[in-house]
Amino acid sequence: MSNYFYVAPEQMMKDRAEFAQKGIARGRSIVAAIYDVGVVLVAENPSASLYKVSEIYDRIAFAGVGKYNEFDRLREAGIRWADGTGFTYSREDVDARALANYYAQHLGDMFTEGQKPLEVELLVAQLGNKLRPTKLYRVAYEGTIADEPHFAVLGGDAETIKARFAQSEPEPLSLALTLQNAVAALAGPDRTIPTTDLEVGILEDRGSRRTFKRLSDAEVDQLRSAQ
Amino acid sequence: MGLPLFSASTDPGPSFVHYAEAAGISLSTTSGAELSPHATTVVAVKCADGVVMVGDRQATGGYIASRDVRKIEAADHYTGLAISGSAARGMEFLRIAQLSFEHYEKMSDASLSLEGKANYLSPLIQRNNLTTPLVVLPLLAGWDTSHLVGRVFEYDGAGGCYERNDFAVIGSGTPFAESALRLGFRVDMTIEEALQLAALAIYEAGDNDPSTGGPDFVRNLFPMMVTITAVGFQELPQEYVAATFRTIMERRTQTGGVAGGSLR
Repeated sequence: MSNYFYVAPEQMMKDRAEFAQKGIARGRSIVAAIYDVGVVLVAENPSASLYKVSEIYDRIAFAGVGKYNEFDRLREAGIRWADGTGFTYSREDVDARALANYYAQHLGDMFTEGQKPLEVELLVAQLGNKLRPTKLYRVAYEGTIADEPHFAVLGGDAETIKARFAQSEPEPLSLALTLQNAVAALAGPDRTIPTTDLEVGILEDRGSRRTFKRLSDAEVDQLRSAQ
Repeated sequence: MGLPLFSASTDPGPSFVHYAEAAGISLSTTSGAELSPHATTVVAVKCADGVVMVGDRQATGGYIASRDVRKIEAADHYTGLAISGSAARGMEFLRIAQLSFEHYEKMSDASLSLEGKANYLSPLIQRNNLTTPLVVLPLLAGWDTSHLVGRVFEYDGAGGCYERNDFAVIGSGTPFAESALRLGFRVDMTIEEALQLAALAIYEAGDNDPSTGGPDFVRNLFPMMVTITAVGFQELPQEYVAATFRTIMERRTQTGGVAGGSLR
């Protein structure tokens, strides 16, 4: 016969939070920032095929840090939700805020009721238009959702990277400058990140319905060396 | 609609149709096609640098229901999809096909092959046509980015998918358009030659089939002309299309409405 010991709810939440934070801290971080005409998502990712940044819908992008299998399943759910909603109603009815809320609810449920909390942190970015503003929604492992005004940092080292990025201009800059600042913030003063270890996606109006674009290493190199 | 999460064993994969079925999103299977305007003629012709598609713009019920229907759409950057048959089912078919190709691309971070897209449509046609045969028949043409050639696929009412190595025709004006193509087709035509031949085929269909619209010089409405090449799906500008059909019309006027012994 097994014995069940009383564990105070505070202690249980603390243990769960520590568990999730430890899992998230194992991976590299992501910076997402709003630039003058779009949104850029920059991930430190040595893998060229297991993506952390991807397209959800016409004007919505996704980024995840932590356990790959967990955030990739949430990425797939996001694409399905968006395509299903757009098919049932209309393309303009697909709203990033609604998706971020569903993610928050799911992560919150898993944190309190799941076998274990999900070891992920998510970002849902929306490129604005006449109907909606440009937004960055950050969803943490326990389900808290934050609407970040200019930029967001995900991952274990978030506070340090956030402090470094916050030193750059608060006004939206060009894509090249924003990317350079993001990479510098991710790297810190003591190292440089090679372009092959970066994964960069942008949301920007280019005359077509879909605004997401994955930047190639050559394109990232060019932006990194631009004045 | 909540967050659609599946376990690994019940996951519908990158297919939108499979997901929609699992999530209970309604993709209609009933017919009611007789209530909806229909008819078309669309041709697709292979040529040296890709493939061209030309289609009329008229929807016909008991009378002319619309004169400016777009029956050819870009299913994605390198693929054109045309529909014939019931307008209601056809428009839905286009939406599902476009969404499915995009859904697959986003889910798996890779585009479907052209053959994969062609095969994906077979069960959709089969299901659409279960209750009333031949409700919607599509025509798929595209630039195959793996093999760097233009390819054309046609379907039968049971969903069978057949690749053609010359041209394909759908819709009520098929006999007339196909006759023109059979006489005029040559291997490795230029894009321009293929466009002129395809336009002539649609002119013939519009001339003979009451459910196919010809060029409408009164309203300045003309058939759609499209090229799909290595640069992707491109619709030709109104001026080019108008000039093409005006030339055909003027030649025919000179000969009193007959072709006059050659393809012109």
